[in-house]
Amino acid sequence: MANIATVKDIICPVCGASCDDIQVELGQGEITVKNACKMGNAKFQEIVSSHRIREPQIRQNGAFRAAAWDEAINRTAEILAGARRPLLFMGSETSCEAMEVGLHLAEFLGAAVDSNSTVCHGPTAMGIQEAGRVGATAGQSKSRSDLAVYWGSNPLESMPRHMSRYAVYPRGYWTRRGRFDRTVICVDPRKSITAENADLHIQLKPNSDYELLSALLTLLHGKTPHYSVEDVTGVSIAEMQAMLKMMKECNFGAIYVGLGIASSYGKHRNAELAFNLVKELNSYTKFVIGALRGHCNVAGFNQIASYLYGFPFGLDFARGYPRYNPGEYTAVDLLREKDVDAAFILSADLVSHFPAACSEYLAQIPVACIDIAPCPTTMLSDVVLPGVIDAMECDGTFYRLDDVPVYFQPFTSSPFSFTTSNEDTMLQIFEKVKELRK
Amino acid sequence: MLAVSTNPDMAGGLENMSEIFLLNSGSTIDEGRLAKGGSKLTEDYTEECAVCDMNPDDYLEMGSPEKVLVTSGDGKHSVAVYAYPTDAMSRGHVFMPRAIWSNVVVDPETFSTGSPLYKGSPVRIEPTEEPVQNACDLVVLLFPRRK
Repeated sequence: MANIATVKDIICPVCGASCDDIQVELGQGEITVKNACKMGNAKFQEIVSSHRIREPQIRQNGAFRAAAWDEAINRTAEILAGARRPLLFMGSETSCEAMEVGLHLAEFLGAAVDSNSTVCHGPTAMGIQEAGRVGATAGQSKSRSDLAVYWGSNPLESMPRHMSRYAVYPRGYWTRRGRFDRTVICVDPRKSITAENADLHIQLKPNSDYELLSALLTLLHGKTPHYSVEDVTGVSIAEMQAMLKMMKECNFGAIYVGLGIASSYGKHRNAELAFNLVKELNSYTKFVIGALRGHCNVAGFNQIASYLYGFPFGLDFARGYPRYNPGEYTAVDLLREKDVDAAFILSADLVSHFPAACSEYLAQIPVACIDIAPCPTTMLSDVVLPGVIDAMECDGTFYRLDDVPVYFQPFTSSPFSFTTSNEDTMLQIFEKVKELRK
Repeated sequence: MLAVSTNPDMAGGLENMSEIFLLNSGSTIDEGRLAKGGSKLTEDYTEECAVCDMNPDDYLEMGSPEKVLVTSGDGKHSVAVYAYPTDAMSRGHVFMPRAIWSNVVVDPETFSTGSPLYKGSPVRIEPTEEPVQNACDLVVLLFPRRK
């Protein structure tokens, strides 16, 4: 690719790390990417891929046909305006600006609106509501943290550059020797590759996070937990004591919780207890805790839904004002209980990542989606609108895993004449819905 | 770990033993690479994600099957995947990459949080000769679109 300029400092739109050092060279039909991980590189290749969805599609007589943009927008608006109780699902690999339009559209329609943040760290957000959180930015942890605890997370596979950019390997201001100045603990039922690279692996039994956290708190209070905790968690009290000693004796500890806490039995109570443990550890040393947010802008929905409507996820506007009740107004529950009669899905693959009962119901109701590549959700949709790739083809805002907003700029423009961004597409749908609901 | 059924007609019995395991689903780097690269409907994705990692002793006791049928705790949904032994797993626990195959059998109960039991769902596992479906065929088979 001769005479092609390298564009630097591009934000990666794949996981919550929001790596901001990506370099790209975009040529005719090919792209060269530097600094991105395997996942990031794959996403950047999408910009020139042969399977990219490049024209709207509408299901007719059981098969898809190409459709004009206006027709697809109209059909999407008809699905939403014609529903009595639609579900709007805001995926995470798109901008806060697009999500904001979705939230306002849900309010206008009296719809339920939810996002990936619910099935990702929704329970963790509920734990924060219960206990509060002692947090830090990734930069603070990079400069100060000499102990990283990966609890129920496997960043070497889910966020491949987290350890090298923020937590373990980089040389920080007070951790000049990088990895040599840091200790790593991994709490995981599986011997993951992160566990293999940790200094201490606590191999607890699945669904016993709450009991292990309780035992650590008991030890922190100077008491010895009942011996039965060893059988329940699979971890000896001696191992717990060794782990707690490392935590108390560090200068700055950082726990990175993953879905091992949020997705297993105990859920938000696991998170609540982890936040309480960290609060109490601050009586001994500086300790912080944060979630490893797997999806790119998954934290963004929590942020903007909170500041616009007061609740971080799972909002229901059926009564004209926002209501929040996880387990009732959240997407998995609404679909499982057949409580909605249409769905609009922005940049997310619910059919792949929701339980089968939800996908079965999605197949029974009208569905419209915006996506960049064919996937099980596009297969079940009535309308498929081509997506614009944020951070590559349009600008906008992501929230990083530590809730720091990151403004991203594109290195090329939307390949479509009919839309400049997913935000633009959402606005066009909103305008049409308003016309239909006059 | 509880043995819940055996087939006395099966020589040796173990080949058809069906047992309850705890399913841990999660990311793998190549699952992420293929998903982010828009390759969810490819055979590469099937090879990476339609798998069940088992403890070697559990795998051996089950008769070292090439494929296993994973059934949800409520018995409503099943999916055939390739079985692999790995020391990463403890006895009684299995791992599947987060993808359509694992989510077919994940417990949809959210315990009033909105998030299903992606980790720690009880599943039943038994050797199978059923074919492993790719994502495309699985959608058509399990989620038929309304007429």
